[in-house]
Amino acid sequence: MNPPMTRNHTRSGIPLKDFYTAEDLSGFDSERQLGAPGEYPYTRGRRPQAEGGWMQRELSGEGDPARSNAQLQYLLSQGQIGLDVIGDSPTMAFLDPDHPIAAHAVGTQGVSLCCLDDYRVLYKDLPLDSIVVSGSLPPAIAVAGLYLVASERGVSPDRLRGSVIQAPFYAEDCGYAIQMPFQLRLRMACDCIAFCAREMPRFHSFVEDTYFFSEAGLNGVDEIALGMVEIRHVVKELLKRNVPIDSFAPRIAILVNCGMDFFEEIAKIRATRRLFARMMREEFGARDRRSWSVVITSHTSGLSLTAEQPVNNIVRGAIQSLALVLAGVQALEISAFDEAYRTPSPESHRVALRTQQIVYLESNVSKVVDPLAGSYYVESLTDEMENRIRERIREIESMGDPADLAEKGWFRRFFEQAMTEYAAAVAAGTLPKVGHNVFRISEEEDTLLKEIVEGKIEPCRERIEAIRRYKETRNVDSVRLALDALRKRAEEERENIMPYVIEAFRAGATMGEIGGMLRLAYGWPYDPHGLVESPF
Amino acid sequence: MKKIKVYIGILGLDQHELGALAVARMLRDAGMEVVYGGRFNLPAAIVKTCLEEDVDVIGVSCHSWEHLFYVPEIIELLRQRGVTIPVVVGGSVITPGDRKKLVEMGAAQAFGPGATEREIVEAIRAIAGGRDRT
Repeated sequence: MNPPMTRNHTRSGIPLKDFYTAEDLSGFDSERQLGAPGEYPYTRGRRPQAEGGWMQRELSGEGDPARSNAQLQYLLSQGQIGLDVIGDSPTMAFLDPDHPIAAHAVGTQGVSLCCLDDYRVLYKDLPLDSIVVSGSLPPAIAVAGLYLVASERGVSPDRLRGSVIQAPFYAEDCGYAIQMPFQLRLRMACDCIAFCAREMPRFHSFVEDTYFFSEAGLNGVDEIALGMVEIRHVVKELLKRNVPIDSFAPRIAILVNCGMDFFEEIAKIRATRRLFARMMREEFGARDRRSWSVVITSHTSGLSLTAEQPVNNIVRGAIQSLALVLAGVQALEISAFDEAYRTPSPESHRVALRTQQIVYLESNVSKVVDPLAGSYYVESLTDEMENRIRERIREIESMGDPADLAEKGWFRRFFEQAMTEYAAAVAAGTLPKVGHNVFRISEEEDTLLKEIVEGKIEPCRERIEAIRRYKETRNVDSVRLALDALRKRAEEERENIMPYVIEAFRAGATMGEIGGMLRLAYGWPYDPHGLVESPF
Repeated sequence: MKKIKVYIGILGLDQHELGALAVARMLRDAGMEVVYGGRFNLPAAIVKTCLEEDVDVIGVSCHSWEHLFYVPEIIELLRQRGVTIPVVVGGSVITPGDRKKLVEMGAAQAFGPGATEREIVEAIRAIAGGRDRT
C-alpha cells in the first residue's frame, strides 16, 4: 500500500494545484519574462543552439597525484570532455598531508595536492590547451598550480579553460572550512578573480557553489538566495577595486544542486538565469551580453541518496540529471550511487557517466532548447521561485551588511538550523526517502551492489613521508624569501596577492605553508589546530 | 534524577556535520544534556573535554573513515587514564562490516545510516545507565 501523499507543495513550500491553466499566467509577458534562448533575460538559456549538449563529467580524484592522473586519463578515455578534480579533506582544509590531523585522511576523499610538483604530476600528459580543467580545490592554489604547469609546458595561460569555486562567505560554516578570517577569505577570492580576469580570461575564476552549502538541507529558494547574496557582495568588492564588470562577469558560473523535486529544480534554474541577468544589467550596468548570461553547472544531490538499497540511487541520479538537462545546464555531474558510503568506485563513476550518455544520445530530450517553456505550470513556478528568491535576498540583506552577518556567525546559525530541520524531517518521515524512512528492507535482504559500497580507499600514508622528504630537499632559502614577500604583501591591504602566491608556489612552498603565512599576516595563528609551529 | 550527559563531536578533518547536529537534537529532545564539540577533534582533545565535563557517554561522528583509526585511540586513552566512559560511534558511511569492527575495537555501540531516532535514544539511555559512576 502506498503511504498517503500528504505534500501538496514543493520542497520550498510553494503550494501546488491539481492542474494549471492560462489563468495562472495572467499578466505573463513572454517578451519580458522569457525572450528567446540566448537573449535577455536568458530565462531560456545561454545559447539558442541545442547542438553540443552539455559537458558530461564526474567529480574525481583519489590517493596521490599520480593515481588521480590515471583516473583522469581513464575518464577522458570513457568520453568525458571536462575534468573536475576534488581535493581530499586535508587539501580542502588548506593543510599539508604531513599535518598531524591529516594522518588518516590523506587521499581518501579526493586527491592530495599541496605543492607545484603535485600539479605537474596531476596534469601529466593531459592536453591543457584543449580540455576544461575544473577544480573543487582551494581556488588560489588551484589557479597557481594550473597557471605554472601550463606556462612550463608552453601553453599560454590565456588559452586555459576551466573553473574554480569561490566560497568566501559560507565555506567556513559548512563543509569547506580553511580556518582563515573572513576578510582574508574575501580578499583571496577577489584577488584570484581579478588576476584571472587579466591573465586567464577564458577561465571561470568565479564559480558560485550553491551546491555544497545547500547540502545542509536547504530548499531551492534559500540555496539561490544565499548564492546571490554572495555574488552581489563579491561583485561590489571587485568594482570597489576598479575591476571592470565586463572583465570578469562573463566568467561567473553558478554550480547548483539538484534534488528530487523535479519541476521545482527546473524552475529554480530558469529563475536563477533571469535574476542574474537582471542583476548584471540593471544593477551593475554590465554591457557585454556574456556578462548577463550566467553559466549554470550542476551536481546532483548527494544528500538525496540513501545508504540503503544503493541501486536506487542510480534511479535518483537519472531523474535529477533529466531535470538538469531539461533546464539547460552547461555541465553536469551525478553523485555516484555508492556515495552514501564511500568515495566513488570506478564502477559507480562509469554508471554515472553512462547515465548522462543515455540521456544525451538515446532520449533525444536535449535536441530542443528549453522544451518546457510556455508550460502553464513551469512558467508560473519559475515566476514564483524568482519572486521568493528575490524576497529572501531582500530579507537577508535588510538584516545588515552580509559581511557583518558572516563575521557574526549568522550564516553559521542558519546552516545549523537547516541541517537540524532537514534531519528531523527525514527522521519523522515527512520528507520521504524510499528505502530509508519508507519501504525499508532488512539488512540481510539488502545485498545488491553491497560489495561495492563496502569497499574503501585506504589512506595514502606513503604520501606523508614523501612530502616530508620534499620539504627537506627543496631550496629552503628561496622558499623563505618567497613566503616573506607573500606575508608582507598580505599585510598591505591593497595589493593583489595572487602573483606572490604563485611565486611562493613556484619557489617550492607548500599550500599549508602559504596558508600559514597568510594567517600570520592577518594576526591569526600559523596552525589553526595548534599542532604545528611555523617552520619559517 | 541527574540528566544523562553526552558528548557529541566530529572526528579529524571530516566536515559533514548534519548527522552530529541531528543526533544532538534527538538527545536533547529526549531530555539529555549534550556537550557539542563540533568539528576538528582529535582523540586527546575529546578525552580531555569529556573528563572535564564528566560526561556519561562519548558520541563521535564521522562521515569519512577516520573513525576506524580514532575510535581505538580514544578507548586506549581512556584506559590509560583508568576511566570507563562508553564510546558510541555514528555516521552514515558506517557499513554493517564497520559496525562489527568498531564493536570489536571496544565501542559500546555503532550506528549506521539505518538507525532510527528511537533506536539511538534508547541505546544511549541503556549505555549511560550501565555506566559505573563510582
